[in-house]
Amino acid sequence: MKRALTCLMVVALLGGLAVAGQAKTLFWNLSTEPPSLDPSLATDTTSHQVLKAMFISLCQYDDATMAVLPDLAETWTFDAATVTWTFNLRNDVHWTDRSGAVDRGLVTAHDVEFGIKRLLDPATASEYAYVLYLIKGAEAYNTGVGSADDVGVVAVDDFTVAITLNFPAGYFPSMAALWLCAPLPQFAVEAYGDQWTEADNIVTNGPYVLGDWVHEDHLVLNKNPLYYDAASVKIDQVYCYMVNEQSTAMAMYEAGTIDVNDNPPLEDMDRIKTDPVLSKELYQAPNLCTYRYGLNAAKAPLDNILVRKALASAVDRQSLIDFVLKGNQRPAQTWTPPGIFGHVDGVALEIGYPYNPTAAKQYLADAGYPGGAGFPEVTLMFNTSQGHQKIAEFVAQGWEDTLGIKVNLTNQEWGVYLNTCATDAPQVFRMGWCADYPDANNWLNDVFHSGSGNNYEKYDNPVYDDLVERAAVSTDPAERLDLYKQAEILICETDVAFIPIYFYTSNELSKPYVVRTYAAIGGESWKNWDILDH
Amino acid sequence: MFQFIVRRLLWTIPVIFVVSSMTFVLMHAVPGSPFTRERALPEAIQRNLEAKYNLDAPLWKQYVDYMWGFVRFDFGPSIAYRSRTVNDILAQQWPVTATLGAVALLFAILVGIPLGVLSAVKQNSLIDHASMVFSMLGVSIPAIALGPFLIWIFALKLKWFPVATWGTPAHVVLPALTLSTFYLARFARITRASMLQVTREEYILTARAKGVRELVVNVKHAFRNALIPVTTIAGPAFADILTGSLVVERIFGIPGIGKYYVQSIGNRDYPVIMATTLLFALLIILMNLLVDVSYALLDPRIRYD
Repeated sequence: MKRALTCLMVVALLGGLAVAGQAKTLFWNLSTEPPSLDPSLATDTTSHQVLKAMFISLCQYDDATMAVLPDLAETWTFDAATVTWTFNLRNDVHWTDRSGAVDRGLVTAHDVEFGIKRLLDPATASEYAYVLYLIKGAEAYNTGVGSADDVGVVAVDDFTVAITLNFPAGYFPSMAALWLCAPLPQFAVEAYGDQWTEADNIVTNGPYVLGDWVHEDHLVLNKNPLYYDAASVKIDQVYCYMVNEQSTAMAMYEAGTIDVNDNPPLEDMDRIKTDPVLSKELYQAPNLCTYRYGLNAAKAPLDNILVRKALASAVDRQSLIDFVLKGNQRPAQTWTPPGIFGHVDGVALEIGYPYNPTAAKQYLADAGYPGGAGFPEVTLMFNTSQGHQKIAEFVAQGWEDTLGIKVNLTNQEWGVYLNTCATDAPQVFRMGWCADYPDANNWLNDVFHSGSGNNYEKYDNPVYDDLVERAAVSTDPAERLDLYKQAEILICETDVAFIPIYFYTSNELSKPYVVRTYAAIGGESWKNWDILDH
Repeated sequence: MFQFIVRRLLWTIPVIFVVSSMTFVLMHAVPGSPFTRERALPEAIQRNLEAKYNLDAPLWKQYVDYMWGFVRFDFGPSIAYRSRTVNDILAQQWPVTATLGAVALLFAILVGIPLGVLSAVKQNSLIDHASMVFSMLGVSIPAIALGPFLIWIFALKLKWFPVATWGTPAHVVLPALTLSTFYLARFARITRASMLQVTREEYILTARAKGVRELVVNVKHAFRNALIPVTTIAGPAFADILTGSLVVERIFGIPGIGKYYVQSIGNRDYPVIMATTLLFALLIILMNLLVDVSYALLDPRIRYD
């Protein structure tokens, strides 16, 4: 009876909107088919965008400031004695099917416990399970030597979940905002197995429900009337296309088929900036990613730190941005991008190596190669891509002009390239990194700790490891900031393990009738957007 | 003829075996794995993933397991699209590609072959020169340039058709036109050359000497024989076009199978690589068989018994 009544209410609501002509639809381009809508399995930004609309996690990020805000958890506390974070959950969050009309029960702490333990289950084979290894017993369970019962996630009662860590990670609430900590509907997962995220099976709890999903073609999200804050969700439907070609997406935007183009082609940037209409619709915002050239210090002549300093000082980042990238990126002299806790402004604080041809020549001369004389040919490798090719050509030309050295450019297919970099990295190679969560631990520890698999430079400095390990366990923000600053100085300036090139920006075109926010960490919050009459 | 067809179909089995074996060996020989990431995965995570997809088994066992699935038409799970099986991908994406390919082929045949005949019949006329310039352009302009050009003219300026995506007959027009142009031009050029060659044969001269009407000479006597070279290239073209075009599908945002041919290799999505390769091989075999059968229908001198 209750279900039937809810159905009638939803039908009446949607019907009323249609009659009144008030239904608001946002037309969006996902660019590609989401590889997975399972929070335990998704690893990419496209899937994350859809997941953010359909599922809530313990916490969420403020779009502008990236501050950690309540979501499923209203409050949370930390007990230093037991190294336990306790999250107190809302009691008005409901599971619902794709119709958004059927209440499948309340979301409880048991669903959070199930979600995290399913992620860690070796049988789930989640790629991101290791991110939660800081939870007590998580690594043992995921590697098959421990049990689920020993994992430090416990539903204390229906609306309280306690998570015990291996160390007091001050940044844990920002990790609790990741989709990895999302509650999952155990009844649906167990009923449908790997197919539980298909349109007919899925059960969700976020601001939108999955209305229709035609693979590779389109995906429709409808407002969830059972969402706990449904009253503040203004857009009734998000219609997502999956057009991968940037020039086609641009044409669709100009034809009015989509309302937002979050990835306009580089070739169109000059036209967009000078067009009287498009230029007003363009928004350029920082994107939490950094582009770098890794240096293999084990290979001559880069085993000489003066050579590494010379190369770092001969990269004209601003010209690269102005004439090649054209996206208003920011030159990078340090690793962690602006907006992330622990970022230090290398340019302002004169950390790292700015473009300085005179100093670059001097470093090279001091290394024993005055004017590049006798300098062996070095290889700069990148994964096959027109964009990376342009950047590599610009940087290599700069090195040849400034230092008088010969640079051999090579590229490889992505999988082969990663294998090469992991096993026998060339002297210089391209890499990038984007934020998983807004803390420098995700940058300085997760990438360049000597034990990290992401450390393609094979950077190994015990002093550095000690700095980032201390920062990881510290709960004092001021102390952590200072430790990260020391780490940036050590890796970017003292040891020159790599050359930071630029901090990314995102270029987004939005129709004037779209009232929106910009999520710095990715995953737009459609629930906070609006569509004006047009 | 029947025996010939059965014999050729039976030969498909060892051919598919060889193709699948070579594909299996080659894809495992390429550096990298389905789990090679810029964010390198810890060994324990890799082990879990390999166990999930049976990649921890010896290679010979993986191959036997795969082929056992193949004979039961179970192509396994996609590694890159984790909630989908390869059967799902083929069932949902290939019909779209086949529809687009069929429309494009029909257009290429219905326009290309008559254009070639007309050029040959009106050799060295304005019509001949114009159609040959058109077909030269058709062969030369790549889809990656033609597609956006057609979008600009017919979608953005004239607003006759949607820019991209799939769903209505109007959505088919521009991608089909883009996809068909190359084949249309090839059909036109080969038909013209073949017609010119056939019309110089003695039996054509005989027919003309007997006073047979020019239309009958061209259509009944010349055209039928001129179709043999066209048929020869049509077979592989059919297989090619029915398995999709990465470029056209990408430009027009079409939910076809084309991208899986390329992306599956980049992703090292082994089950998808195997399935798409075998699909292509099967189509090539079947189309070549159809071509051989059509020879006998077109030329009474050809017999397979």
